[in-house]
Amino acid sequence: MAIYSFWIFDRHCNCIFDREWTLKSNQSSGTTNSKQNEDTAKLLYGMIFSLRSISQKLSGEGSHNEIRTISTGKYRAHILCTASGLWFVLLSDLKQEDLSHVLRYLYSEIYVKTVVHNWFSPVDFAESDSEKRGQGVRKIRNRSFLANVERFLGPMVN
Amino acid sequence: MSANSANISASSAGSKKSLKTFSDDIWKNKTAKINAELFTLTYGSIVSQLCTDFERDFKKVNSHLSAMGYNIGVRLIEDFLARTALPRCDSFTQTSEVISKCAFKIFLNVTPQVGNWSSSKDTFSLFLDENPLSDFVELPMDAVKELWYSNILCGVLKGALEMVQMDCDVWFVSDVLRGDQNTEMRVKLNRIMKEEIPAGED
Amino acid sequence: MVDSGLASEVNEHQRLQLQFQLFQESLPKVDETVYRMLLNEAVPLAIGVERSLNHLEEDSTDQLETDLNSKLTFESQELGASHKLLQEYMTADQDQQIRINTRLENIGFQLGQKLSQLLIFSNNPNLSFKDMDLLSVMKFVCRDVWKQVFGKQIDNLKTNHRGTFYLLDYNYKPIESFTLEEDLSDQEQKMMEPFLHVPCGMIRGVLASLGFEKEDQVTCQATLVEAPDSKQAGASAFAKSVSFNVQVLVER
Repeated sequence: MAIYSFWIFDRHCNCIFDREWTLKSNQSSGTTNSKQNEDTAKLLYGMIFSLRSISQKLSGEGSHNEIRTISTGKYRAHILCTASGLWFVLLSDLKQEDLSHVLRYLYSEIYVKTVVHNWFSPVDFAESDSEKRGQGVRKIRNRSFLANVERFLGPMVN
Repeated sequence: MSANSANISASSAGSKKSLKTFSDDIWKNKTAKINAELFTLTYGSIVSQLCTDFERDFKKVNSHLSAMGYNIGVRLIEDFLARTALPRCDSFTQTSEVISKCAFKIFLNVTPQVGNWSSSKDTFSLFLDENPLSDFVELPMDAVKELWYSNILCGVLKGALEMVQMDCDVWFVSDVLRGDQNTEMRVKLNRIMKEEIPAGED
Repeated sequence: MVDSGLASEVNEHQRLQLQFQLFQESLPKVDETVYRMLLNEAVPLAIGVERSLNHLEEDSTDQLETDLNSKLTFESQELGASHKLLQEYMTADQDQQIRINTRLENIGFQLGQKLSQLLIFSNNPNLSFKDMDLLSVMKFVCRDVWKQVFGKQIDNLKTNHRGTFYLLDYNYKPIESFTLEEDLSDQEQKMMEPFLHVPCGMIRGVLASLGFEKEDQVTCQATLVEAPDSKQAGASAFAKSVSFNVQVLVER
């Protein structure tokens, strides 16, 4: 299925999770929550933010129109925006036209079960005002979240 | 996943009737259930313990119930959104409908009435004719004047609404447990919180 | 003649069972997630209560009291997020931890007592409370109580038939989603501790309401254990197995 990477952004403009696969042939390759991805995360956030706000303005008052995919010549970004300000983002090859069911599963079966229902995990990753507005660095690191993501997305990497 | 059907229904959730049908369906088919009585007993034990801890200083009990509710609300909202796939509401009026017909339905299987709107349309009341928290509960004499038994609900709503960018105050104005005519909660929208944008992008 | 007599007895029992089942299904319900969250949030609540009680004890001068009175309408956020309060448990001193756990035990105890009453009067044809000995009571806890509260039965009950019991739940539901980050995993046992005091209290509460109510007659301690087979029925790799060790002093 050629998924390249998975990102989660929260309502404080922070990337609270990133997982990038570097080798198609190896589903345990790549990085998790790495510093190298910080710049990419900010660019990805910016791109989605801009397109989202422009398209909402184009749709006019009183209707919620969320971006679903953004395609470029080389990849497609699939986006799920929740009313709580979470963005679940998958980057894949162009063959994947609609991964919304994958995103839904990541949200309702993985995020909700291993982060929201986990009393040891925060649900707000910004602990003070200085960590809001894209300035925060905390990530989802709990073991069952990580394991579930690997188990679910791993097979879709090639 | 339930995604597709949820999306189709969610987009027409503006209509009151379809919101009711949508919520009924989620309650019937996509909700694991436990006996309400167990829920009542558990909550009762918690309130009782708080009353003992604070030596019947009911103001503190009310505060802690609300704080407990807040912490539940900030998590419960994600459960709600994952199950219903509902988008942000377009108006506070729509919010009141979603709270009463959808949220209360799928979590507590009750549908409070919405009413008593303020003239500026920023405050409404929820009238609970049924309240699984307080079934068969009788308040002792000293609690009747000061304890808001179901205050946890105020915290849950406040926390959940904050996660969808609505800063609200939620409080009880009457409760049948206190001998009042009905059980009425008031929800006031203080402001819609601005979406954050990355620092340096203003 | 004997055959048809037995047959009609069996049918009567089946009918009662079906009736009971239908009755149970018709009872008012609430969402299980909400219940689970209520149970779980009781722990940060107990910790928050400890914090506010201690706070008030420290500052007992008049001047500070008036100050405190004005701050007593707690902003929920001031008390802290659930996960933060749980971290406070780890840094609390032993007395505080004991008080927090006792608070949770009391909640469980009350729940156990009331739940027992509820189940006793529910006309379950499978239960007969008339001649319940200790073992039957424990089986009642393992099957009926656990099923009501946690949606499943205790997986294994061990006893030495002299008042010691081990109740093993290979996937204790309220904490099944709880995990920490990699490098904190050695603290998990300790951090889970407060969450196990509610079910312990509940077990004692049930026993108390069924005749074992003397002071200190029943003790219950819970520990996390390894599941014998990590492929337990649908449980994830992070399922928490808990062993409840119940000691009952039986009069001779």
